[in-house]
Amino acid sequence: MNLADAARLAKQATFGPRADLVTYISMVGADQWISEQFARTDSTYSDLTDPLPLDYCKDYTCFRARRTREQVAMRFYRNAVSSADQLRQRVALALSELMVTSMQKTDDAAGMAAFQQVLLSKAFGNYRDVLYAVTRSGYMGNYLDLADNNKSMPSENYAREMLQLFTMGPFKLNIDGTPQRGGGGAAIDNYNSQDITGLSRALTGWTYSHINNGSVTDYYSRDYTKPMVPLAWFYDSGAKSFLGYTVPAGASQTASLDAAIDAAFYNPSTPPHVARHFIQQLVTSNPSPAYVARVAASFINNGANVRGDMKAIVRAILLDEEARRTAALQETSGKVKEPILFLASIARALNMNTDGRVFQDWDDSLGEPVFFSPSVFNFYPPDYPLRNNPGLVSPASKLLTTGQIVLRSKLSYAWTINATSPRGEFAVKLNTANASGTSVDWSQWEAFGSDFDAMVSRMDLILLNNTMTDPQRTALRSSWETIVDVDPRLQARKRAAALLYIIFSSPQFQVDR
Amino acid sequence: MTMLMSRRDCFSLAAASTLASTLPSLVAKAAAAPSSPYRAMVGIFLFGGNDGWNMVVPTDSARYSAYSSARRAPIVLPQTSLVPLNGSSFGLHPKLRSLRPIWDDGAMSIVLNTGTLSQPLTKAEYIAGGSRYPTGLMSHSDEQAHWQGLRPRASNPDGFMGRLTDRNYSSEVSSLISFGGGSLAMIGQTSAPLVLPPTGIVSPAGLSGNPADPIVFARSAALNAFASGSGLGTITRETALSMGSAYAQIGTANAILANTSIVDQYFVSPSTGTPLSSDVANQLLRTARMIEARGVLGHARQTFFVSQGGYDTHAAQAAAQAALYSDLSDALLGFYRAIAALGVVENVTAFTMSDFGRSYRGNAQDGTDHAWGNNQLVIGGSLYPKQVHGKYPSQVMGGDDDISGDGRFIPTISQEEYLGGIAKWHGVLDGDMPYVFPDWSVWSQNGRVPVPLLRS
Repeated sequence: MNLADAARLAKQATFGPRADLVTYISMVGADQWISEQFARTDSTYSDLTDPLPLDYCKDYTCFRARRTREQVAMRFYRNAVSSADQLRQRVALALSELMVTSMQKTDDAAGMAAFQQVLLSKAFGNYRDVLYAVTRSGYMGNYLDLADNNKSMPSENYAREMLQLFTMGPFKLNIDGTPQRGGGGAAIDNYNSQDITGLSRALTGWTYSHINNGSVTDYYSRDYTKPMVPLAWFYDSGAKSFLGYTVPAGASQTASLDAAIDAAFYNPSTPPHVARHFIQQLVTSNPSPAYVARVAASFINNGANVRGDMKAIVRAILLDEEARRTAALQETSGKVKEPILFLASIARALNMNTDGRVFQDWDDSLGEPVFFSPSVFNFYPPDYPLRNNPGLVSPASKLLTTGQIVLRSKLSYAWTINATSPRGEFAVKLNTANASGTSVDWSQWEAFGSDFDAMVSRMDLILLNNTMTDPQRTALRSSWETIVDVDPRLQARKRAAALLYIIFSSPQFQVDR
Repeated sequence: MTMLMSRRDCFSLAAASTLASTLPSLVAKAAAAPSSPYRAMVGIFLFGGNDGWNMVVPTDSARYSAYSSARRAPIVLPQTSLVPLNGSSFGLHPKLRSLRPIWDDGAMSIVLNTGTLSQPLTKAEYIAGGSRYPTGLMSHSDEQAHWQGLRPRASNPDGFMGRLTDRNYSSEVSSLISFGGGSLAMIGQTSAPLVLPPTGIVSPAGLSGNPADPIVFARSAALNAFASGSGLGTITRETALSMGSAYAQIGTANAILANTSIVDQYFVSPSTGTPLSSDVANQLLRTARMIEARGVLGHARQTFFVSQGGYDTHAAQAAAQAALYSDLSDALLGFYRAIAALGVVENVTAFTMSDFGRSYRGNAQDGTDHAWGNNQLVIGGSLYPKQVHGKYPSQVMGGDDDISGDGRFIPTISQEEYLGGIAKWHGVLDGDMPYVFPDWSVWSQNGRVPVPLLRS
C-alpha cells in the first residue's frame, strides 16, 4: 500500500495520520492493520465509573468532576490523541453519535463513563448486543426516559428513537439505503403510531439499580452506571403487537424486551440505515447506493451466517473500493472533518502530549462538545444539505457557521504560530483530577532543519494525503523563507508552525477525501 | 502565477484582515434594495416540540373544564394561574406573563392548531392514509425539516428563509442572519447566511499586521493559494466558498456586535432589572443589534432565525416548560421594547415555530409525547390587534380532530397559511411565492388563504 493511500486510511480509521502510523500501515497493508486494530483495547473509562450518591458533592471541584463532562471528555481526547486502539475509538465515537446520550440532560459523569465504556468494549462485537446493552443502560434509561416507564400510560420516547435513530429509521429502505417509494413518489413510513404504542408497552417495567441498597424511590442512590433492573408493577403484561411481532399476554418482561430488540434489529431497513451511518462517519458523506448495499450485506451476513457482526461491517466499510481505490474517487466523495476530528487530528500532527483538558475550551464553541449533544439527534443531522448542490448532503457542514469557520482559523493559529513557546491554556488545570497539561512536541518538525522539501512533503503526506499542488508548495516556500531566527532549531519550529497554520485552516485539510 | 483577481481572492481569508479595519467604506456598498419600507421577519424555532396546549389555554368554562379533565393532572395549569389575554377567551402559561404588555399593546396574535400538511385533511382522510399527509409525522428530524423546508412529502435541500433571501437582494453582509446556529431554514439555493454565536466576538487570528511586512504578505499569499479548494471534489469546493464568505463578513459583523448599543438596556428581567443571560435572550439582543445596524449593512429586508432548545418534554414537563417559557417571554419582551425604542416596531414581525405539538393527555411520567397540530405566537407592531386565529380542536380524546386516543390533533391551518402572510408582508412577490413555498398552489386556492395576521 503506498504512503498516500495509507494516510487516507488513517484519516478514515484513526483520529489523524502520524508519520510513524502511515509508514506502518503502508508496510503491513490495510487488511492486516485492521485485524491488529480489532485486537487492541488500550483505552478505558472504567476507572471513572465508580457510582456515588448523586448528592455526594459538597464543593465545586467535586461538582466539576462528577456532574460535568470534564473528566469523561478529558479521557476521550487523551485517548484520541495518544492511545493505540484508534479504530476502536473511532467506531465507539460513531456509535456514540448514533445512540446518543448527553450530559446536557443526564449530568452524571460516572454514568456517561460507563455508557461510553459499553460502546468501546462492544465496538467490535455484535450490533444486537450493543443495542441490548444501550437499551438496558441506566444512563440511557434516564436520558430517554425508559427508566420508570409505567404501564399506566407509557412514554414513547425511547421506543420512537430506538426505531428512528438506532436501528431502522423512519422510512422503508432498499438494501442500498435508498428509500422505497409509495404513492406520488413519497417515502413510506416504517412504522405507525400503533407500532410505537405496542413497543412502548413492551418496554415498560425497568428502573435504576440503586447503590447502598437504596429504595427504588430514592433519587440520590440511583446508579446510572449499571444496567436497569425490573420493576414488576410498572410492567405491562398484556398482549402487545408491533412491527409484525406479537408478544402474548403473560409473557415475561425479558421476553417483551427481547421481542422489542429483535423487531428493531431484524427489520430490513436496519442494515442499510446503520451501514450508511458508519460510512458517513468514517469515509464519505455521500456514498454510492452500491457501497451502502455492500456494507449492508455484510451486516446481514458476515460470511458465517451471523447478522450484525461489527467487525464485518467495519471491514466492509474500510476495505471497499470506494474507500480504498483512489481511482474510484468521485466528484462527490469526501466529508467535512467534524470539530472533534479537526481538533484531534491537529493535536496528533503536532505530537501533542495532553491530558485532554484543553480541547474542552474549543469543542463547545466549534459546535461539538463531546458527550454534551444538544439532543438525541446528535450535533448535526445525517441529511444536512450541501448548499448549492441539491441531492448532496454534508452533515458536519452544519457546524461550519460563519463564526465556527473563523474559529477554526483562530484555533489553527493558536496551536501553531502561537504555540512555539508554552501557551497559558496548555497549563495544568488547577483542582482537576487526572490533569497533567498539554505540550507540543516540535522535535518531529525541527528535525527537518532547513530542508523545506522534506518538511513540506511530510505535511503533504500526513495532512493532505499528497494532494498539494505546485503553486501551493511554491507559496508555502515563499512564506517559509520569510521566517528567520538565529537559533536554527527555533527557526525550523517557527517555519513549521507557519506552514501548519496555513494548512490546518485550509479547506483541503478540513475536508477528508 | 500571475496575480489574477478572482472572486475567491476577494473572499479569501487574507482579505478579511483589511475588511476588518475598513468598516466605514462598506456603508455605501449595499446593492439595489427594494424601495418599500424596511421590514424584518424573526422566526423563533422552539426545538423539541413545544407543548402549545399549555402555552395557550382556553379560559371559557366549558373548554377549560374539558382541558383540565383531558390532560393528566400534573401538567394541568390552574385556571387562576393563567395570564389573561384581554378580549379573548384564552390565557397564557403563567411563566409567559412578560408577554402580557405586548398583548395589551395590540402587538401579539395567537394562531391555533397549525402544523405540517400536504393538503386539507379530515380524520377520515387521514385514516384512509396513502399520500394525503406528511411523511415521518411525529419524528423530530422530519417535522423540523418540514417546518423549515416546507416540502412535507419530499426531502428538503433548502429552507424557506434561504429561498426567500434568494429572491431578495444581496449585500456585502448577508441579510439572512442567525445567532442560533446553522439550520435548514437558512439554506438557500444561492444565498449564504451570516451565522454567529449569541455571545462573544470571534476574531480571525493571524490576519492582522502590516501587509507591507514580508511575513504577513507571504502568509496571505500562501493562504490564498489554498483558498479555492478546487480539484478536490464538490464538498471541498463548497467548503472553500463558505470559508470565503465567512471571512468576508466577519469584520463588519464584529464591528457592529463589539459596540454597546441602546438596545442592550431592554434585555433585563422585568422583575429584578438584572440583565438577561439566557441563550434565547442573547440571540434576540443580537438580532436587535443587527436591526439597529440595518442602515450600515445596507439591508432593506432582514430575515432572522432564532432558536431555543429543550422542549422535548417526555417527562417532568411542568418544571422544564416553566423554565423555558420564563426565558422566552422575558427575552421577547426585551426584544419588543428594543425594536420599539428603535422606532421599527411596525417593521418587524416575530413568530414561533416548533417540531410539532404534543399529546393532549400526557403520559405517566408527567410528560407529553410527540403529536402534530400546535399553537403559535406572533409579535409585531403591524398585526391586527389582539387576534386569536384558527379553531381550537375538539377536546374529545379519539374524537374528530384526534388521530390517536390521546389527543394528537390534525392541524387546521397549514404552515403555508401561517407563514405565507408574513412572507408576503416581508416583501415576497406573488410570482415568487411558489419558489419560497413549494406547495403554494395547494394553499392559495379553493378558499385557502394566508392567516390574516398583518394590516399591510
